[in-house]
Amino acid sequence: MKKFNLILRLIIGGWFLYFGLAKIVTTKPVGPWQMPVLGAVGPVHIPQMELESPALFAKSIQNFRMVPRETTNVMAMTMSWIEVVAGLMLMVGLWKRPSALVIAFLLAIFLVAIGQAVYRDLNINCGCAGTTDGRKVGAVALIEDGLGFLAALWLAFWYKD
Amino acid sequence: MAGSVQRAVLIIVVGATLGLVVNAVSPKRAPWIAPPKVEAPPSDFIPLADAKALWQSGVFFLDARAPADYANGHIANSFNLPAEEFEPHYPQIASMLTTDMNIVAYCDGLECDLSHELTAKLRQLGYGKVKILQNGWTVWTNAAYATTKGDQP
Repeated sequence: MKKFNLILRLIIGGWFLYFGLAKIVTTKPVGPWQMPVLGAVGPVHIPQMELESPALFAKSIQNFRMVPRETTNVMAMTMSWIEVVAGLMLMVGLWKRPSALVIAFLLAIFLVAIGQAVYRDLNINCGCAGTTDGRKVGAVALIEDGLGFLAALWLAFWYKD
Repeated sequence: MAGSVQRAVLIIVVGATLGLVVNAVSPKRAPWIAPPKVEAPPSDFIPLADAKALWQSGVFFLDARAPADYANGHIANSFNLPAEEFEPHYPQIASMLTTDMNIVAYCDGLECDLSHELTAKLRQLGYGKVKILQNGWTVWTNAAYATTKGDQP
């Protein structure tokens, strides 16, 4: 059971850490530079990480048509970092129950958002991993987030070291 | 459990504060209040069937999304002119455009107004024949029309 909980923490925490970071940073190819590649010298682009604008994630939130447009920028700024902090804490085992609670809370919100988008037949991307997320809102997104929600609940309420 | 709830609230506060601080110092900072949607008049929109016909006739398609979204997948033969990075990208595209040519702009999402912003900026520069395919990327891929990936058309 201890090993199972550890694996669950790493998966759920890592999932949220990744999703949060995917909305905060983006990679931009910089170059080209002439570099040796496979025995020949050729142009190479080096990916450079830079902060992404929260306004882009805000547009994904606006697509769900759930909250006033004016609030979406602040939601975008804060939600991604809450995901990162909670995900990281769950992974490293710091405040395991509280961080699992936060993740369960966020997943509950996502389930409601995706559920109402499916009900209203909104043909939109999930936006869960930033604007490059190819996940459409639908049954698959609901199942994935539903399983994550159950796992987070387990870690929050029944977790024992 | 009460202790866990309190700590959960603290995690949310810490995360939210980090997000606000990072945005404040970021070169790509966003305003706290999202600006109102850039509305395009109904006459600017074209249905998917018309857009497809224009695409087949070789009309210029512009993807108004961020470069990372474009590279992840875009309408085949379309060029990327991000609405929110217009100034640095426009010079690369300008040599291929003339003010009397037909152009179709698109982005992705029912609420996405990047294509509206791009259309407005192009109109200011004298491009009078710009149309918008609303929720373009989604409706185009749903119809299984030609797409490609990468940073080239």
